[in-house]
Amino acid sequence: MQIIHLAAEAATQVSQISGNLGVLGYGLAAIGPGIGVGLVVSKTIESIARQPELAARLQVTMWLGIAFTEALALIGLATPFIFAA
Amino acid sequence: MFDSLGTVIGRVLRLGAALVAAIGIVGSLVGYLLTGLPGVYAALIGSGAAFLFTALTALSVLIGSKLNLAGFLGAVLGGWLIKMVLFLIGFSFLNKSDWLTRDSRPIVFFTVVSAVIGGLVIDTLIVSKARLTATLDKP
Repeated sequence: MQIIHLAAEAATQVSQISGNLGVLGYGLAAIGPGIGVGLVVSKTIESIARQPELAARLQVTMWLGIAFTEALALIGLATPFIFAA
Repeated sequence: MFDSLGTVIGRVLRLGAALVAAIGIVGSLVGYLLTGLPGVYAALIGSGAAFLFTALTALSVLIGSKLNLAGFLGAVLGGWLIKMVLFLIGFSFLNKSDWLTRDSRPIVFFTVVSAVIGGLVIDTLIVSKARLTATLDKP
């Protein structure tokens, strides 16, 4: 019974939230690329530590990985131009 | 004969600039027909911003490759972080500007998306066709 009361209270508070929701949108858009770039870089460091002589080739592969991941971030930054109220 | 990193990135930047110019011209025409002069500004800003964003990453890799591993990561990741913050601020000001009318703003989005996807296709094709050495090209 108390849980239902709390849920109703939370729903009332959520409906009262106001402000620019685009701020939340950028935060959500940054999560994916942030994790993605972190994974690309960590695996590249690991690979260079295992085979340092392949560093030049791994750097190119890493750049391609970052280019794909950051595309998502740039599209996320540009979404306010199309979703703005 | 093998390609160096500088050669590969030079090719990517040249072809990327040509693609962005083409997208800018087509986008400007479409934008002008749909929303008038603000549509032209929107197309040019969108394609230019997308090129600047992707070209800065390529340049940071090129500069970073001349440094040691920590310097490389600092140049690539630090450059990426600064670039993201600057673009966030720039797009935020652009979204509040009066001269970019409300109905021309989607043109910024569509030119950014098409320039980014086209740029990725160019990157992938050039890297897959490049003859990179299997070993370190620095003595």
